[in-house]
Amino acid sequence: MILEYDAAIIGGGPAGICAAIAAGKNGLKTLLIEERDFLGGQLIKQTHRFFGSEEEHAGTRGIHIADDLKAELVGLSNIDVMTSTTALGYYEDGILTALHDEKMVKIKPKSMVLATGAFERFLPFENNDLPGIFGAGAVQTLMNIYGIKPADKVLMIGSGNIGLIVSYQLIQAGVQVIGVVEAASKIGGYLVHASKLRRLGVPIMTRHTIKKAIGTDKVQGALLCQLDENWQEIEGSQKQVACDAICLAVGLTPLADILSQMGCETTFIGELGGIVPKRTADLETTKPGVFVAGDLAGIEEASAAMLEGELAGLNAVKFVTGDERVNERIHHLKGELHGLRAGPVGEKIRYGLAQLFEDSVITSEKIDSHEHDITQLAHTGIPAWENIDEKMPDEQRMIKPYAVIECFQEIPCNPCVFSCPFDAIYIPKEDINLSPVVNFDKCTGCLSCISGCPGLAIFVEQRNPEQGKGTVSIPFEMLNRPQKGDVVDLLARDGHKLGTGIVTRILYGQKQDKTAVITVETDIELVNKVRNIQLQGTDKKGVM
Amino acid sequence: MKNKADIVIIGGGIIGCAVAFNLAKKGMKDIVVLEKEFLASGATGRCGAGVRQQWGTRQNCLLAKESMTILENISDYLEEKVDIELKQKGYLLLSFSEKETKQFAKNLEVQHSLNIPSMALTPHQAQEIVPILNTEKIHSAAFCPTDGHANPFLTTEAYAKAAKKRGVEICTFTQATAIKIENGKIKGVQTDKGFIETERVLNAAGGWAYEIGEMAGLKLPVFSERHEILVTEKVPPMLDPMVMSFSFNIYCQQTPNGSFVMGHGPKNEKPGHNVNSTWQFLEAMAQKVTYLLPAIKKVRVVRQWAGSYNISPDRQPIICESEQLPGYYMAVGFSGHGFMLGPSIGVYLSELITGETPSYDVTLDLGRFARNEIIAEPSVV
Repeated sequence: MILEYDAAIIGGGPAGICAAIAAGKNGLKTLLIEERDFLGGQLIKQTHRFFGSEEEHAGTRGIHIADDLKAELVGLSNIDVMTSTTALGYYEDGILTALHDEKMVKIKPKSMVLATGAFERFLPFENNDLPGIFGAGAVQTLMNIYGIKPADKVLMIGSGNIGLIVSYQLIQAGVQVIGVVEAASKIGGYLVHASKLRRLGVPIMTRHTIKKAIGTDKVQGALLCQLDENWQEIEGSQKQVACDAICLAVGLTPLADILSQMGCETTFIGELGGIVPKRTADLETTKPGVFVAGDLAGIEEASAAMLEGELAGLNAVKFVTGDERVNERIHHLKGELHGLRAGPVGEKIRYGLAQLFEDSVITSEKIDSHEHDITQLAHTGIPAWENIDEKMPDEQRMIKPYAVIECFQEIPCNPCVFSCPFDAIYIPKEDINLSPVVNFDKCTGCLSCISGCPGLAIFVEQRNPEQGKGTVSIPFEMLNRPQKGDVVDLLARDGHKLGTGIVTRILYGQKQDKTAVITVETDIELVNKVRNIQLQGTDKKGVM
Repeated sequence: MKNKADIVIIGGGIIGCAVAFNLAKKGMKDIVVLEKEFLASGATGRCGAGVRQQWGTRQNCLLAKESMTILENISDYLEEKVDIELKQKGYLLLSFSEKETKQFAKNLEVQHSLNIPSMALTPHQAQEIVPILNTEKIHSAAFCPTDGHANPFLTTEAYAKAAKKRGVEICTFTQATAIKIENGKIKGVQTDKGFIETERVLNAAGGWAYEIGEMAGLKLPVFSERHEILVTEKVPPMLDPMVMSFSFNIYCQQTPNGSFVMGHGPKNEKPGHNVNSTWQFLEAMAQKVTYLLPAIKKVRVVRQWAGSYNISPDRQPIICESEQLPGYYMAVGFSGHGFMLGPSIGVYLSELITGETPSYDVTLDLGRFARNEIIAEPSVV
């Protein structure tokens, strides 16, 4: 028996689900094939709130986005979902085969969306096959899907978003992260994620790399060294550290096997992750009616994957039905994608796409006029005082509570704007990449924005010069949550202990959605320095 | 790359590499092998990796037996320690009818005249050799314990390495694009990397033999046909010999690493260079093999592919110098058994090229078709 469909979608991650929803909503008889026994792909491991545009799920935790998407999928009766099903091959007579219930099923789709995602890269170094060396994604799977603590003391290699986020999640799971090692001179991921780690006391060592893993039967440590400007080892810089796991977060490679098997043309573009399909701006490969979306089309964030998934799904609709009514939405999605990629952090993907299209469909112009000089932040994860000063109100205003948004890197993100009930936060020029600004005339210090920021970069302060005291309210997502009245250690932006303070208020309701807001009272001079707290005696910071 | 050669061999499969080695061993200098992809990337590397001596004609038996002798002693022969994953656990040929059994008996006589240690078996005896065999419809079987398996890639690489050591230049990812002929004489071979002056060319192009003939203005009576094949995951050893049936149209063996390799002859396949895989093959193969060897029905297929049989009118190779174009040698039309005949053909052809008296008394020239001396080999898949 051959199953006939208008659209077959391979891969049930964010891109694939969005493609299926777009195809299904527009009347296509759609089949979604997923190799795992659950849908959601990487989304279901993402416990952090998503960056991006409020319109596209930003501010929602990845795991909840997966639930929302699945609910939407289930509501569409013309979509069939096959989980635990592996696409096997696509044949010259247009038949797609898949392994389902231990049997080969044959599918004849009129169009296809390939959204197979990516796999983790590995790094060559001595002893890299010792037990205890993981891909960061694998560690995330162990922890967040299967509830298994992967190790006690982890060394993270790579400071891209995955390395930074997984480090943070390891700490949440009670694992000590001894440090993050980065071969480049700058931190690769969003700097707000880096700042989160730094105030937990985790060192981030840029221009460092791993030389070898130490241990006989399993990882017992690592040998690190420093790199010079030409990426060469600096003599005498070797340093041994103790750990029981090494986590590699050194990038992803598109999972392009089925593309090659199908005969879709591919090309090598380093900026997009390696071998990627040749495709149009409408995501159509060199095989008419075969579209790609998500990491397979080029390594990017999940927000882009969702937009691309919908875009590919709509183009499949157009391919099958000729329906031009989807054009408007297609145009809108392309605009959204353009916006996501428009800032400095989108430079790599813009450059990659420019090579792919060999023209200026998406321009590769360098953006060198940053709003802030973030050199120090990019090297250390800790913002310079000049940066912070720009975000502060004048002294008279400080006697009333005010929000300090420590968000300096231009990233496409805006949930803070929507989190403020008083419209006190805005993004200049309505450019989603620019950093948000607080209108202190409107700000009441209500604390709403603290839990709403995906980067946990908003703090609320208040100073009482007469008493020489002040309060600071911070986001808190660790298990050892203090109680009101507790005396806690106060930690600085680099995690060092500043002194102690008293917890005066805790917000931990539905609105906070597990990002507690903790207010501590302390000496006035510490107010602008305190960015983290810990229960006394629970010191677990990095030790490198 | 050399710009002048005593001979340019077109094709880096088993034939090209074996001939190059033999010529170099005889002392020929300036031998160039052109391979448009990597070594054994064509028919050689896509074959079923079997080596059998149970043939129905004297000359096939002879060539196969000689090949097996070379493979058995490959390290001494190439003067190089090599492992070609030789496994001599036999070929078990299955008969499904009285007629087929009679043919087997005739074949055995031919084989025995060359001291090939083959034997006739009852279905019960066949099952003793292959306990997982379903003997339900099997009429009889034939078995030769010294037949078996060799790894085509390792064998080709071994020949290539030994050839290089003796001065042969092997140019991979280099495609012959034209053969220059002036006044009825070969002047050289044009490649995509430059021109090589030569008076002698060997067409050992496997699936592309016809096209390499056309380059010299020759219409060789060969065509290419897709044959499909698959490999399974590795499982513990459970099948010693290659199991093969001409009438049931299947061959299946378990390679030394534990994976099963199997294939069959296609029906209604159009001539051409299409080497795509089909799902129909998977279904047909699964049906056949699980009938014959039910125990492997849970074994998973890990990969399928296809290769070209370069087929001649009598399904036997054409090995000779062209009468029309002196200096143009051909080793074409192997019809699916080039790998297993490669080692002896390497010897035979090198003798033809150097003008020595051939070691084997065989008739493989192109002229046989005009003379109507076609080789009627009854035992092919």
